[in-house]
Amino acid sequence: MILDKIDTKNMFLYYSGKMALNNISIQIPEKKVTAFIGPSGCGKSTFLRSLNRMNDLIDGVKIEGKVMIDSINIYDKNIDVVNLRKKVGMVFQKSNPFAKSIYENIAYGPKINGINNKHQLDEIVETALKNAAIWDEVKDRLGDSALGLSGGQQQRLCIARTLAVNPEIVLMDEPASALDPLSTAKIEELIVQLKELYTIVIVTHNMQQAARISDNTAFFYLGELIEYDKTRKIFTNPDKKQTEDYITGRFG
Amino acid sequence: MENYRIFDSELDKLAHKVIQMCSQVNQQIIDVVLALKTADLVIAKKVIINDEYINNLDVKIDKLCQKIFALQQPVASDLRYIISALKINNDLERIGDHAVSIAKRIEPLQDYLQLVEDLGIEVIGIKTTDLFSDVVELVKTHDLAFAEQIMSKAAELKDECKSVAATILTEMMQQSEVVVVAANILIITNLFERISGYSTNIAESITFVVNGEIVKHKKHIENN
Repeated sequence: MILDKIDTKNMFLYYSGKMALNNISIQIPEKKVTAFIGPSGCGKSTFLRSLNRMNDLIDGVKIEGKVMIDSINIYDKNIDVVNLRKKVGMVFQKSNPFAKSIYENIAYGPKINGINNKHQLDEIVETALKNAAIWDEVKDRLGDSALGLSGGQQQRLCIARTLAVNPEIVLMDEPASALDPLSTAKIEELIVQLKELYTIVIVTHNMQQAARISDNTAFFYLGELIEYDKTRKIFTNPDKKQTEDYITGRFG
Repeated sequence: MENYRIFDSELDKLAHKVIQMCSQVNQQIIDVVLALKTADLVIAKKVIINDEYINNLDVKIDKLCQKIFALQQPVASDLRYIISALKINNDLERIGDHAVSIAKRIEPLQDYLQLVEDLGIEVIGIKTTDLFSDVVELVKTHDLAFAEQIMSKAAELKDECKSVAATILTEMMQQSEVVVVAANILIITNLFERISGYSTNIAESITFVVNGEIVKHKKHIENN
């Protein structure tokens, strides 16, 4: 049985009083890839960031409604945001490795979570790098600076860094948009593999990418969730004209 | 607010070629039915020669579809249209081939025009012409009322072909001297029946373009 990992109910988000998300209710299933698509400014990244309270860092943001993860509203007052972000990891458009060694990039999160045993850290680093499909490329140079890796490798390193703290959900905000086709293909393959272990939510401007890797697709426009369905349905026979116009490039 | 997309011109070109193919095939049907009625070998020859034009158009449409798939990665209604254009093109090409097969069987019927008429092949031919003119309209307009009409007319025509085939078989058993020519007429009847089947396919493809619904085999599936 497929469970809903994330369930938002009548969610509104305002930036300094201006509505950016309008009444979003969506159920995101566990261990599936869910893609958010829509034109720039439609609210898809804002919505993604609200799933691990990254918008808390922006002044003037006000959120109404509920964002339930495993049936708990993450905007309840007693929620520990640090723990939430361990559970709901995030990968950004631009890879952002620390100016440290490859090993230290991965070990950093577990260390600040109190793991100091070298043997345990070694295991975490190896598992995370293997799960991010970069272990074979870096296993002989774990002490080298992460900044010496290629863009595609840096992005997979950042995914490994996210996985190292053992999240349940991984949010990805255009993770391959700055990469060449080969690196993009590796990231896409990785995402499809990762869904066996994690719930993945990805924002992408590349509709073919959404079509290739996601199980479900949500189309956002002007802060509203216009249509949400199986990816195959969205890309062959969407119900809403706005969705059809957007994915076929007819949108003005 | 709609944008004109670079590949709209390719889609327009494809739609134009499919309609062109449809019109050519329609003319082939009109001609072959006329040739059959009058045993006119000149018209029959014309049908055989014109098939090359249809075959060329078939290849052009295939190539254009391949190009759009490869370069434009169509989705949604565009995707459904191109998938259907390929299938419709294939059905039209087969109908064209059947018109040629009929044309090639006209010569031996020259001395048996009365038998052709008596067995009802002429009526089958006229009904096929009528059916296919609806197909042309449907491909031009995507009006689903025509699709329904075609599916029902094609089913009727199919039944009539079966009934005519049964009459021919009876005739063959009763009159041994007409066995050879009757066998020829039987094959022609079967070819008209196949044309009605392809017309149904085209109506189903257009239904898929318009509403994304796969209607082929539906009755069969529902009955099982």
